[in-house]
Amino acid sequence: MKFFQYGNEGYKSILDPRTKLLLLIVINVVIIGTGFTGTDYVLRVICAVIPFVLFLMIRRFRTALLYALVCGFMLLAERFLFPSTHGVLNLIIVITLGPFSRILVGYAFAYYMMCSTTVSEFVTAMKRMRVPDAISIPLSVMFRFFPTLAEENRAIRDAMRLRGIRLTGKNGGLLRQIEYEVVPLMMSTLRIGDELSAASLTKGLNAGRPRTHICHVKMEIWDWALVLLSLGFLFYMLVLR
Amino acid sequence: MDKKLNTKDLINIGIFTALYFAIVFIVAFIGYIPILMVIMPALCALIGGIPFMLFLTRTKKFGMITIMGALLALLTFLLGRPWLSILFGVCAGLLADLYMKSSDYLSIKKAPMSCAVFSLWIVGMALPMYFGYRDAYMESLRPSYGDAYVEALTGLTPGWTFWALIVTIFVAGLLGGFLGTRILKKHFVKAGMA
Repeated sequence: MKFFQYGNEGYKSILDPRTKLLLLIVINVVIIGTGFTGTDYVLRVICAVIPFVLFLMIRRFRTALLYALVCGFMLLAERFLFPSTHGVLNLIIVITLGPFSRILVGYAFAYYMMCSTTVSEFVTAMKRMRVPDAISIPLSVMFRFFPTLAEENRAIRDAMRLRGIRLTGKNGGLLRQIEYEVVPLMMSTLRIGDELSAASLTKGLNAGRPRTHICHVKMEIWDWALVLLSLGFLFYMLVLR
Repeated sequence: MDKKLNTKDLINIGIFTALYFAIVFIVAFIGYIPILMVIMPALCALIGGIPFMLFLTRTKKFGMITIMGALLALLTFLLGRPWLSILFGVCAGLLADLYMKSSDYLSIKKAPMSCAVFSLWIVGMALPMYFGYRDAYMESLRPSYGDAYVEALTGLTPGWTFWALIVTIFVAGLLGGFLGTRILKKHFVKAGMA
């Protein structure tokens, strides 16, 4: 499980979680809302570069390279392939690449957010934003839980393959496949949920006192720069366009 | 019984929302094939019914379903849907919550219906295609995606399909609820987990 580790070693998270949240929203607004020409396209490229640089900063070189290849291809396709084709060919290209190019950057950034933020930092940032417990606790649990889900799912897939359960064949069928995969996932979800509640009780989440922490959550100069940038983008998207 | 939500409840909300979202998210990927885009929301509601029914076995207090709806909508908002989708999530969650509350969260007969109501949060995801957004959205696609794509998309989704969408999601949610009940009976009741 190298892909989804969210431990604190091996990187220094340079951004505040709040900046990351704002950036996530703005990147998605820009990428989904802009066209492929003129200033719009410049904005798209800038947004696409941000996750790449951030991946490099947390030393995910392989992810960064993969992302750069796919994203570069998408950006070039948007610029040159989409306008230069017509008719059915255009339809096929747009259908296969179009939706993908609209989600890629946002999802890459969401992935970066998951890798680079510890749960503790995330909770602290939410407390600073005065998010009520009813939202912040489930959200941080989810945040922690997605990697676990991926891990469990992989184990279940392995077990299924070991027993020869495939889409086709004797034990095949899509519905049955879904059942075989979802039910164990739900079982382990229940178990992990109980364990998590026990763990949080032990840590005193229920004690009704303010939470203490040692992580460093502060808006630095980088954060302000990126906040300014995203506000500029928002201004462009909402007012100038 | 304590009526206020405690930490255990909040953690339960968190993990079930994560499970639900992950499952719906994977199902939603088939929606990137445009013809299937039309049935994608219904399929999401259908499969999403399974984890949701399990979630209902863990809800005993008012507010849990509402928070789940709000969180799901918040996630879709973070991934770039219009902010109005948050409203859909909260409303669908609240209605489903109120409906379950009328039987004190005990009635298994009411659960599929509640699941159907809850599924309506998915409508928020499909929002850009309709109403005031529609023309702007289509026009924003035109220069980049070309006329052919826009014509195809417009042809696939005339205005009335919005209401059809709500109905299909509702029906699919109901079916998903029944499917979930059956799976719960088959696997979880036997194991003493539901």
